Amino acid sequence: MRKGIRAIGVCGVLALTMSNLAGPAMAAAAPTERYLHVKVDDASKGESVNVNLPLSMAAAILPTVNKGSLHNGHVTIGEADFNGVDVRAILDAIRNAPDNEFVTVKEKDQDVRVAKSNGNLIVHVLDKTKDGEKVDVTVPMKVVDALFSTTKDNELDVAAAIRALSDAGDAVLVTVQDATQHVRIWIDSHSSSE
Amino acid sequence: MVLLGKVALGIAGTAIAGIGLICSEGMIEVNVVEKQPEAHHVYVLAPAMLVPIATHFIPSSKLGHASAEIKPWMPTIRAALEQLRAVEDVTLVEVREPGQHVVVAKSGGSVVVDVTDKDDVVHVSAPIRAIESTVEQVAAASAETQD
Repeated sequence: MRKGIRAIGVCGVLALTMSNLAGPAMAAAAPTERYLHVKVDDASKGESVNVNLPLSMAAAILPTVNKGSLHNGHVTIGEADFNGVDVRAILDAIRNAPDNEFVTVKEKDQDVRVAKSNGNLIVHVLDKTKDGEKVDVTVPMKVVDALFSTTKDNELDVAAAIRALSDAGDAVLVTVQDATQHVRIWIDSHSSSE
Repeated sequence: MVLLGKVALGIAGTAIAGIGLICSEGMIEVNVVEKQPEAHHVYVLAPAMLVPIATHFIPSSKLGHASAEIKPWMPTIRAALEQLRAVEDVTLVEVREPGQHVVVAKSGGSVVVDVTDKDDVVHVSAPIRAIESTVEQVAAASAETQD
């Protein structure tokens, strides 16, 4: 009887030791979770919205949604939305081109700038009429490539773009600022947006 | 005397095993504090395992509409809950307005919703496993209703 109790005790100690050893090793092997953060602040109304979405969760959920224009992680876009522009050809040209400013439009009401810099596609819009609304979009070229990696011309592969975002470094993707509102979308490895 | 002790040990062991089984999926916690006009306080702490069991006793006809609505979304719900279980604790959504604060978070294997406004303070915490079981029960009721 005593031998039995001793054997159970030894097994218990061994199991605890193994779990203590295996725990940190498994934790070290697990890839760091990446988060997509959305923060909206409206100073005039005193409102704020924070969304922190694990990218692994987004990547797992998207392919399961089949509703409207979203199917298996792909978004179908009408031909009209492209306005007859061959987006793939333009992206090919941008991908192969060195860092440069591709479009600069300066108008009375609006400034637009499209550029490629350090492997990122940058779009900057300044609307001078609406409370000085300022939009900055910075998307890694890898993510843009993933977005247009589908074989169909009228589809965007959002799931592939999310996967590409997971592999990209910390980055601020979108900022929108006007007189009262501030919107910020970014990715990093922190579970909170603070 | 020895026999009585063994019987008592057996009863106590069964009771502990039963409590352990019932609480194995965690606890559902609901805490509602009404501030106005009179202060009311409702606090419920129940074993999460009871919810899917209770759902089993709801007639399929009563669940028909809900289950028909939920069924097409089951792959999405399953994927979301599976991933939610895997990720570390995170505040998924936080909304602040003057006089109102809403937080939806994953905390220690549970989904936690906290709502604070000028009239009420509401806290709901439900284990993800229990949510999964309950949703599966509701979706399964659809098949029974449709057959």
